[in-house]
Amino acid sequence: MKSTSRAIPIPPSLAEERRPLSGLSRLDWGLLAATLLLAAVGLATVHSASAELPVDYLPRQALWVAAGLVLMAILIAIDYHTLIETSLPIYLGALALLVLVLFIGVGPGGTRSWLGIGGFRLGQPAELAKLATALLLARYLATADRRHLRMREILVAAAVAALPIGLVVAQPDYGSAAMFVPLVASMLLIAGVRLRHLAIGVALCLALGALTWGFGMKNYQRQRVVTFLSPDSDPQGAGYQVRQSKIAVGSGELTGKGYRQGTQSQLRFLPARHTDFVFAVLAEEWGFVGAAAVLGLYAAWILSALKIAMRSRDREGILLVAGLVSIFSVHVAYNTAMVVGFVPITGIPLPFLSYGGSFTLMNFAAAGLILSVDLRRYVNR
Amino acid sequence: MFSTTTGPLKAVRAHRQELVARVRVLSVAAAAVLGLIAGGFWYVQVVRGSHYAELAENNRLRQLTVRAPRGLIYDRHGSTLVENVPSYTLLLDRARSADLGVSLEFAAAVVGRPIERLEEEVARAHAVPSFEPVPVARNLTLGQVARLAAAGWEHPELEIEVSPLRFYRHGRQTAHLLGYIGEVGEAALASADGRLRPGDRVGKDGVERTYDPALRGVDGERVVVVDSRGRTLEEHRRVPARSGRRLELTLDLPLQQAAERLLRDRVGAVVALDPADGALRALVSSPAYDPNAFARGLEPEQWQELLADSGDPLQNRALANAYSPGSVFKIVMATAGLAEGVIDPDRRVYCSGATTIYGRSFACGRRGGHGRVDLRQAIERSCNVYFYHLGQTLGIERIARWARAFGLGEPTGIDLAGERPGLVPDPAWSRAARGHPWYPGETISVAIGQGPLLVTPIQLARMTAAVANGGRLVTPHLVADPDAAASARELPLAPGLLAPVREGLADVVNGGQGTARWSARSDLVRIAGKTGTVQVVGRSAADGKERPEELENHAWFVSFAPAEAPELVVVVFVEHGGGGSRSAAPIARALYEEYFSRHPDPAVAG
Repeated sequence: MKSTSRAIPIPPSLAEERRPLSGLSRLDWGLLAATLLLAAVGLATVHSASAELPVDYLPRQALWVAAGLVLMAILIAIDYHTLIETSLPIYLGALALLVLVLFIGVGPGGTRSWLGIGGFRLGQPAELAKLATALLLARYLATADRRHLRMREILVAAAVAALPIGLVVAQPDYGSAAMFVPLVASMLLIAGVRLRHLAIGVALCLALGALTWGFGMKNYQRQRVVTFLSPDSDPQGAGYQVRQSKIAVGSGELTGKGYRQGTQSQLRFLPARHTDFVFAVLAEEWGFVGAAAVLGLYAAWILSALKIAMRSRDREGILLVAGLVSIFSVHVAYNTAMVVGFVPITGIPLPFLSYGGSFTLMNFAAAGLILSVDLRRYVNR
Repeated sequence: MFSTTTGPLKAVRAHRQELVARVRVLSVAAAAVLGLIAGGFWYVQVVRGSHYAELAENNRLRQLTVRAPRGLIYDRHGSTLVENVPSYTLLLDRARSADLGVSLEFAAAVVGRPIERLEEEVARAHAVPSFEPVPVARNLTLGQVARLAAAGWEHPELEIEVSPLRFYRHGRQTAHLLGYIGEVGEAALASADGRLRPGDRVGKDGVERTYDPALRGVDGERVVVVDSRGRTLEEHRRVPARSGRRLELTLDLPLQQAAERLLRDRVGAVVALDPADGALRALVSSPAYDPNAFARGLEPEQWQELLADSGDPLQNRALANAYSPGSVFKIVMATAGLAEGVIDPDRRVYCSGATTIYGRSFACGRRGGHGRVDLRQAIERSCNVYFYHLGQTLGIERIARWARAFGLGEPTGIDLAGERPGLVPDPAWSRAARGHPWYPGETISVAIGQGPLLVTPIQLARMTAAVANGGRLVTPHLVADPDAAASARELPLAPGLLAPVREGLADVVNGGQGTARWSARSDLVRIAGKTGTVQVVGRSAADGKERPEELENHAWFVSFAPAEAPELVVVVFVEHGGGGSRSAAPIARALYEEYFSRHPDPAVAG
């Protein structure tokens, strides 16, 4: 495709939507509202979950949310095309940080996922790497001009994802590494993959999974899967978490025990309740009504974002939004399913609700990028 | 289709609609997955919600027993016999211990016990949930507690539990009488209909056992909210414990202590009671055990040692062992002869030192004979010949009937467990138990308290009380029962009928030829009594030789005082003590003197 024209004729269907005002009035208020509401629910729940702990994580999380809002505003202001243009340097920078963190990183139990200076943890480069990978893949896959991707293009895209995946696995942080898979898979699928290639890919994934179980996993990780299949086999060990989480969720019943009244959470039966299991606290204290309402907010966020993708004018916009929404959706789906005991426990936090700096920033950044895409659907270049 | 460039980057719009269509599929998929998850929450929270709510309740509420303080026990003057003292137990919270080995090593060093002991305790508690602390060392001294407290910040997994410990202030002196407590057995647990729980401590013997329901009180309970480490956060509900009843015994502690001292190095029993109503003043069995060792918890070796002890210290000889009464039985014989009208108290019988009945020779205790003796003299001098003839006249059936009338052959109903009924033999018993008929010669043996006849010291105390109080068979007891005197059984005796018997008994101690005139006569109080000597081996076998102790005769002395208005009955039994006069009677005299020095006898004092 070749064009030098900067004037784009507006199709009749879009003409009605065009507003005389520019800027904020064109923001997708639905997505923004869902973001802000989820962040608010997150602050309240983190407070409830950690108020009885030596440290109340509310002030820290509030700081991260504030930083996230600023980051989101900046990213809305920047044309996403600019970021996509500079995606290669961003990606390389993220890879550099992932390499750096292997040498100077800190983390629990000998893992190295945090960049830190002294005792201060700056953040997890893996989160930045996800954004960078999404940007680079959007740029690369946008240039494909056929109905379906060529094998070569698929392999290049896979390689783009494989580099950060390899570095994150080396930390090791398998949960974060796994999140690159839906990112690259969704972007490839949206860009167009032949059924034949898809079949090969699925077969490869299964083979890889089997190899990982056989050789690549540590015993505690296999134990998690076994525990998931039969949580009562080890009530004091790995099954404890699943069991306590299910008790927390289930005992919330229809309307919940009330804010800060959750016995499982307030009496410390539930570990990791301000991070990965924060949704169990919410479900216990607000019941099914609260859990369903928050799931509804997530659905609103995801569907609004995908609507933005659908009305985006260009391939890179569609692919970028779809990739970001995929990571977000898998986080939401996996975390909530884990909390209710449907899938094995893995360290996958819940966007906007779980306490965590880099992760919160990444989600606000994703929202900013998506809103940026939406804002520029009328910009005629 | 639009095609634009924005600077160096081309905004690519190729196949946009196809991409949009795929995003739409993604939207539907995302909505479906979230809907599925919401369905999962519906199932767990609404369909199965009540199940998890119950699990959450169980998680956070813990029911704790509030032990009711066990009732204290006093003697008749209000002296404390049993009290509860704090006992310190070292608990180990395994969940908080970083390294069990290190924790136990430290604990063992502080309490000065071998680490193996502590490890055994931990191993024994393997079924206890890991968040519950388990006891590893009991009965710590205050010094050990202080040392543990000082190191508390280093070893938060070690805790001290204070619990009440039963303390028997007079130890062995009241051992059989008060008994001891221990963990409830499985049989008792099964028959308690849920009133007892495993681990409850119940009375195992003595007063502790008989009055256990009253002493135990009613345990209360605390339902507390706990966190995931089992730490109590707040109280949810409390049912206060009702403490056990305070028990005042009829026991006279100084008399009991004196009896125990006098019997300490011998094997035997002492029973002292008030003949008016059967209130026990002293009850001692020797050898005794240390009840405080039971309260602290016996080591297995200690328990084996007790069981293996040939002196059988666990046995309460005052009521759980039956012996031949010997000449003491002549009291029953004399009363029976008078009541049946077969003897005239003044009629004299000639004793030549032996007599021949049913073609067999029966010897008297005095080789040369007592000459002509009436009933009173026969009792005073314990003349066998007199009672041989009386026995022949009465016959075994009437003897047995009168023995039973005096409460022999049946439990006295004392409020202590383990009582033996003894044995009053008769022809029916002989056929049933021995499978052969009663031999007439046996009647003659029974007449002087030998033969198959078996009695317990408590039975003889009751019998003696009946003679002392004019014919009422009282029920010996340690806890005052207002109906005790009223429920006494009246013997069918004419008024004054017992007078010659009582005079004879007074002569035993105070008469010129009484068998206990040297050993029981007291200047403080006029004592009446009867000696008994039970042959352990046949007379001929041991005649005239020095005997080893285990072949020595058993010694009895049954008595009451003051002789004319009895206030106290004392029965002394000494296994292998030799003659009743030699070893049993002096103990009784010492006890009367102890008792009446505090309760002066008006007859003597005046």
